[in-house]
Amino acid sequence: MILRSFLDRFLLAVFWSAGLVILLVLTGIIGYLLLRGGSSLTLEFLTTAPKGLPLGTGGGVLPAIKGTLMLVLIAVLAAAAPGLITAIYLSEYGESSKFRALVNITIQCMAGIPSIVTGLFGYAFFVVYLGFGISLLAGGLSLGIMIFPVIVLTARDALLAVNEQYRLAGAALGVSRWYMLHRVIIPQSAPAILSGILLAMGYAAGATAPIMVTAAVISAGMSGGLMEPVMALPYHLYILFSQHISMEKAYGTALLLVLLLLFLNVTALLLKGQHGKGGY
Amino acid sequence: MADTMAMFTSLVVSACATILLLAIVVFIARESWPVWSSFGLKIITGTDWSPLARPPQLGLGTMVLSTLWVALGAMFIAAPLGFSGAVFLAEFAPAWLAGAIRPVLNILTGIPSVVYGFVGATVLVKWFEVSLHMASGESLFCASLILTVMVLPYIVTTSEAAIRSVPAEYRQAAIALGVSRPYMALRVLLPLAKRGLLGALILGFGRAAGETMAVLMLAGNTLHLPASWFSKGEPLSALIALELGTSEAGSPHYQALFAAGLVLLVILFIINLILTIIRKDFDRVVRKS
Repeated sequence: MILRSFLDRFLLAVFWSAGLVILLVLTGIIGYLLLRGGSSLTLEFLTTAPKGLPLGTGGGVLPAIKGTLMLVLIAVLAAAAPGLITAIYLSEYGESSKFRALVNITIQCMAGIPSIVTGLFGYAFFVVYLGFGISLLAGGLSLGIMIFPVIVLTARDALLAVNEQYRLAGAALGVSRWYMLHRVIIPQSAPAILSGILLAMGYAAGATAPIMVTAAVISAGMSGGLMEPVMALPYHLYILFSQHISMEKAYGTALLLVLLLLFLNVTALLLKGQHGKGGY
Repeated sequence: MADTMAMFTSLVVSACATILLLAIVVFIARESWPVWSSFGLKIITGTDWSPLARPPQLGLGTMVLSTLWVALGAMFIAAPLGFSGAVFLAEFAPAWLAGAIRPVLNILTGIPSVVYGFVGATVLVKWFEVSLHMASGESLFCASLILTVMVLPYIVTTSEAAIRSVPAEYRQAAIALGVSRPYMALRVLLPLAKRGLLGALILGFGRAAGETMAVLMLAGNTLHLPASWFSKGEPLSALIALELGTSEAGSPHYQALFAAGLVLLVILFIINLILTIIRKDFDRVVRKS
């Protein structure tokens, strides 16, 4: 009996400490970045190009911010429409055909492909085979391939989550499926779909491995041509750290990147929590 | 009319997407084909990597071992911690605390790996160097630790869902028999949620093995065969990221990097397959009982 109650206490202690350790470690990381990077995150840091020798010891990260935004924009432009249409197919039109199962499984598998392998493909296909070179376009398209499964899966779940009553009511009224879809189901699931796209944008903004082989360079101008290499925040952070250029700027860049992603993810979370109009 | 067109468009687009995604695997296999046909399985078993020598040595053995070591190591730490955390969230956490932990977990999945790698390098590596007097703190162990932190949110969230999905009857029966709640969690809930817990591990392992930036910044990147968890190594993903830019397109070096990508994909595929089979087995057991 004593042994049993000792075991109970011990287990309880294990469960509690696991929960607290997880919370501590995870919040500790953000706290640490805020503490160390807060002082470098000035207006000048956000609005000037890197300066100094070696480049990056002074100045700011403006070209990297711009590069990251451009990369994310291209990725979303490339992936959102096909992703959405595929999700519509999976949730509305596929019925229970073999082909739908194939599409579903392929996309689920592809969501698990490591980002460096996507980068490898992007390098071989866009950079070498199509001759884009290390460029904004090659990087953006590689990121597009990377976020495509994320968009499909979140949009599919958003569409499937729409109340079955609407579908039944629509079918009972003899309304065509397309009409139902664009007048009822898509408006209903729009916040959740948008939330998925924001999550995918965050995923693209933070991804380093694919762009380090397809798009990003240590220093690039602000011209922003599609066929030119770009700077990007995550790659800039990696370079600042790994080439020992400036720890202070690295902390600032890391904090900026985390804040950008927190913003995207929290917005996505809030959107997802919100129900479409006319919900029960 | 519009309906038929919408259906047709969606069918065509999803077919194209599926083909594109399958093409990635085919493309990577094709690019690496020449080295497979001339070196055979020596690429995986060989441990000598000097792609620019003549003739080139293209053994990926050390990297394969590093990848497995780092990822399994991360699972080794993350599984007990993550499962206990999941039990805590599902059974013991007061509502306010669970309400604080869950969004934190959710948001932390969004932090990019390069930031985790950076924090790991500035905190963990420094700590190893200062307090253990190591010449340089990077090691496979360091990489495993940071990977643990990175995969924890996935493992905890998935496992919590699995524990919650255990039918209420089991819980009621256990409580009616006077079993204490911690004991019930250990002997009733966890075994019944086995299937979901394994799913959580699959997910975590996939993330850990494919992760690039954090291991690139923490594993030390040496080409020696890792002798222990605490030695340095260079996982497959780090190798690709480091060397792809400098390899000449079409050279054996370039092809071998694609072989590395293919090996990584195959490792993930095999792990998925094995665990899917195990999960099916559990399924049968649970249904029988």
